[in-house]
Amino acid sequence: MATQEKITVYNIADLKNTTDDAIPNYLTSLSFTPSHLLTDVRLALGFSAFALSAACFAWDYNFGFESTKTYTAFAVALYTILNGLLTFWIFYVEKGTIYQGTSPKGDKIRISTETKKNVPVYHMTIEVKDGKTGERKTLKISRSFTEWFDAAGRFVAAPLQTVLAQGVDVIGRVDTKRANAAKVEGGEAGPSAVYTPEMLAMLSGEGVSVGSAAETATGTEAAEAKKGGKRRKN
Amino acid sequence: MLSALGNPRQAAAQLMNFGLILSTAFMMWKGLSVISDSPSPIVVVLSGSMEPAFQRGDLLLLWNRNLFTETSVGEVVVYNVRDKDIPIVHRVISKFGTGPTAKLLTKGDNNDSDDTKLYAPGQNYLVREDIIGRSVVGYMPFIGYVTIMLSEHPWMKTVMLGIMGLVVVLQRE
Repeated sequence: MATQEKITVYNIADLKNTTDDAIPNYLTSLSFTPSHLLTDVRLALGFSAFALSAACFAWDYNFGFESTKTYTAFAVALYTILNGLLTFWIFYVEKGTIYQGTSPKGDKIRISTETKKNVPVYHMTIEVKDGKTGERKTLKISRSFTEWFDAAGRFVAAPLQTVLAQGVDVIGRVDTKRANAAKVEGGEAGPSAVYTPEMLAMLSGEGVSVGSAAETATGTEAAEAKKGGKRRKN
Repeated sequence: MLSALGNPRQAAAQLMNFGLILSTAFMMWKGLSVISDSPSPIVVVLSGSMEPAFQRGDLLLLWNRNLFTETSVGEVVVYNVRDKDIPIVHRVISKFGTGPTAKLLTKGDNNDSDDTKLYAPGQNYLVREDIIGRSVVGYMPFIGYVTIMLSEHPWMKTVMLGIMGLVVVLQRE
């Protein structure tokens, strides 16, 4: 992970998509088992609609319009229904879900995300179901994208993972290292401690580092911040 | 975008989105075709034989159903010459008989003679089956010129594809 991809920090779609892709990677690295039901139904609906239209094209091309008129009429009606179902599935059932799965300890988790137009804040809605007690909870976490993207547009995984591990106890139980890291008091306006923009640039310069390197960096920064005054990092 | 290809489901989803754009466009065309009962519900006027009513380059929306009335003398129809794919937009000037076997003769308003010489060798009249649009229900002037230019100057297709390719490549950076 020497050269990291940079994205445009002004493009909300890029920020959201990169973060949406990072969360499932993180959870999978913690041995969460993903449930592909939502994606699979969506793919099934979409590809069957496509296959229908391909078949319609084939019989129209080979036999002409007149003789296949009735089949085409049914195909168009069925295609409209399938597309309608697909749209319904995406808007009302999936509803922005980017991950659904089970933790190694048996808790279920479902994360959906959204962003508002031209506001660089990432809103996460996390639904958890405790594996043992069956208790359901819904958490909302909203953080600024500045917490895990540096000024050049490189994504740094550690702060995002810390936010999730500390904010969601289902994740915190599995990722104890991040859960016990220095607490980041963040919000929609950005973090107020630990991960400064200079730090993010440094972390991303080392590559997406997880592990003791990031931890010691966090530790030294917190210590130096307490001493007062920002130091120029290079 | 390419980094998404590591995950097969995500690659499949992207492929699906692209495929659905194509298939929805195609199905909309076929839907229009089925509703109007015409194999080609949108045609471009290729010649000036119907001036001043229709000019070369006009885009016409056709309706091909005889729900209330039969095709009668004086109506502007669109037909294909037997075994050719070129739509001709002319007016019906005489009719013998009734029903689907009625014999129809057409002529362009701006032409000197009727269409007998346009029909296939041995064909002296049209029947209802030859007609792909019994009436014009909508029209947009001039838009069809793009199609005419592309078919008369095939090099323009290459230029257009080249420009589109360039735009796609440049956008990546």
